[in-house]
Amino acid sequence: MKFSLSLPRFRKSEILATIMIGFVVIIVLNLFYIQIIRHEYYKQQAYDEQVAKFVLPAKRGQIYARESGSIVPLVLNQPVYLAYADPQQIGDKSKLVSTVESIAGGNMVDDYKDGLNNKSLRYVVLARQLSNKQAELLKKKNLPGVGLTESDRRVYPEGSLAAQLLGYVDSENTGQYGVEGALNDRLKGKDGKLQAVTDVRRIPLTVSDDDVSIPAKDGDNLVLSIDRNVQAYAESALKTGLKRVNATKGSVVVMDPNNGQVMAMANYPTYNPSQYGKVTNYGVFQNGIVSEPYEVGSVLKTLTMGVGLDTGAVSTNTTFNNRGYVQIDDTKISNVEEDPISANATMTDVLHYSLNTGVVFILQQMGGGKVNLQARNKLYNYFHDQYRFGKKTGIEQTGESGGTIISPKDEQGNNVRYANMVFGQGMDVTMIQTAAAFGSAINGGTYYKPTVVAGTTDNGSNLHAAKAKVLKSNILRKNTSTTLRDMIVKGRQLGALGGRDRSGYIVGGKTGTSQVIDPRTGKYTDENSIGSYLGFGGNQTPHYVIMVQVKDSKAAGYSGTTAAGPIFLDISNWLLDYLKLPPR
Amino acid sequence: MSDRHNNKFISRRENAWRRNQNTVAFEHSTRLGPVSHTVLVAMMVAILGLIYLTQVTKTSSYGYAIERLNLQKTELVAKKSELQVESARLKSLQKIQSSEVAANLTKPASTDYIR
Repeated sequence: MKFSLSLPRFRKSEILATIMIGFVVIIVLNLFYIQIIRHEYYKQQAYDEQVAKFVLPAKRGQIYARESGSIVPLVLNQPVYLAYADPQQIGDKSKLVSTVESIAGGNMVDDYKDGLNNKSLRYVVLARQLSNKQAELLKKKNLPGVGLTESDRRVYPEGSLAAQLLGYVDSENTGQYGVEGALNDRLKGKDGKLQAVTDVRRIPLTVSDDDVSIPAKDGDNLVLSIDRNVQAYAESALKTGLKRVNATKGSVVVMDPNNGQVMAMANYPTYNPSQYGKVTNYGVFQNGIVSEPYEVGSVLKTLTMGVGLDTGAVSTNTTFNNRGYVQIDDTKISNVEEDPISANATMTDVLHYSLNTGVVFILQQMGGGKVNLQARNKLYNYFHDQYRFGKKTGIEQTGESGGTIISPKDEQGNNVRYANMVFGQGMDVTMIQTAAAFGSAINGGTYYKPTVVAGTTDNGSNLHAAKAKVLKSNILRKNTSTTLRDMIVKGRQLGALGGRDRSGYIVGGKTGTSQVIDPRTGKYTDENSIGSYLGFGGNQTPHYVIMVQVKDSKAAGYSGTTAAGPIFLDISNWLLDYLKLPPR
Repeated sequence: MSDRHNNKFISRRENAWRRNQNTVAFEHSTRLGPVSHTVLVAMMVAILGLIYLTQVTKTSSYGYAIERLNLQKTELVAKKSELQVESARLKSLQKIQSSEVAANLTKPASTDYIR
């Protein structure tokens, strides 16, 4: 039996149709797979390719100072450009080099020619820090493969004026030191975002509902409380004063005691913020007025006198037996300056002759006749809680120090320490703490938060003023404050510098010469002492407080009197004219 | 009660239809076949597509206009900043102090205030 297999016979057209249908089915299935199953994946790929995300950089806020009711710029932004080339796209290399060099000149970077020869590179920096004018010229040349990137740099029209107060902005666009560091968040603003479908040249097109456009929020334009002329004069007077006594370092702070605003903050030596990279002594970046606490010495006697008057321990009529020294526990405390030993020394004598024994007497009176825990507690209450020593003032500067004041409960807070604290030894305070406390003691008893910011401006001409912030009221009673003020004025008038004040004004102040602890022996030494002067001036009421510090004076005598005092006098007399204060 | 008395509003169109409701409807002799329908639909789709494309292109062109204006704004802002810096430099204390005008100024011998 013959087996025969009969297969169905198909026509060619049917086979072709089947193959075609098969292809179509495969294509449809593939399309189904791509479009339905892998829909999200391919959609994301297309989105990533078509949509670009751009960062809209925020402009850093500019910084202004005040000047007789108007606003003047201290720190501005200037656009600068970076020129780059794509070696794969450049045409005539020698033409490119000669053209760019003729425009950029000294702004060309080193070794850029090596980069241009390397065709595997796509980005070679040609020149940096080009001005707007140079960038415009380069654009006009329309060189193939050459591009420009814009950024901002900080410029300082006033050079090194108020350098430590301002700080600088580093290459990462982050503020360092001074106001730039302390208020970096306010100044830098917030970058915006643009997310949009773009064409091949990455130009955003407005076709998608998914476009995101969040505009950048520029940083605040700050107006400092600094007066440009006061700052410039303070810096000049400080430099001249230091040169006169061959001193190496010094600082001046000028404040308005009626609102806590700093009118000037000068430090010497200083630097130019536009060339911060060239600084080798990094110490000059610090604003020592807020960051370097020290034993301010006898200038603090004015504040101790305020405590004595306010607690009722002494009055203007109080006298004491000044023997030239006083024994506290196992320590003998002596007067150091000219000392007219008298059985009836007055409280004005205490300030005039800077009697250590006088301020220790005040402390003793606060303890009922001797230095004890009660006296220490009272003094600590005033120094720490009222004058706010040991606490940061909150001024808008980086690296502020709160200083050190030892509590009477501490083992180190013994009678001897407190007997030293009344004349500014045995505790560390900064110049800004001292000036702010002094301002509140003579302004009627209101402690204003020290500040260097007067407000903001939108356009560089109108000031949106910030309100003065009261940190504590009635730190001294009002009549105590008035009495203290009069005593300080009298103390100065009787001294060597008093007769040289402009007549018709109230000018008061106190010298201080602090011994420095010798690191070799751990004991106080007269070498390299720090001279200070703390005072105020005005007509009916105080209009300014000035504190001067001079380190390492080579002049004979106490540096508070011979080095710091003349600088105070110079600035004070100039300020009375500058502020146009009519005499009493 | 009549409609009028019911105060019911009857449009002119409805009134006309009511009047002619017993008349014979007219039927056109030409009829569109399926091909014509398809062509018409295709044309309508094409017209709609064209309208869509013109609109999309139009909105895209705004992107270029915005980009052009942004570039112009950036250039103007840069020029303004340059001028501000130049102005500030010219008004700086150092510049003023070294100016010819300042060199010819004299310090007042004394200051008096009129009371």
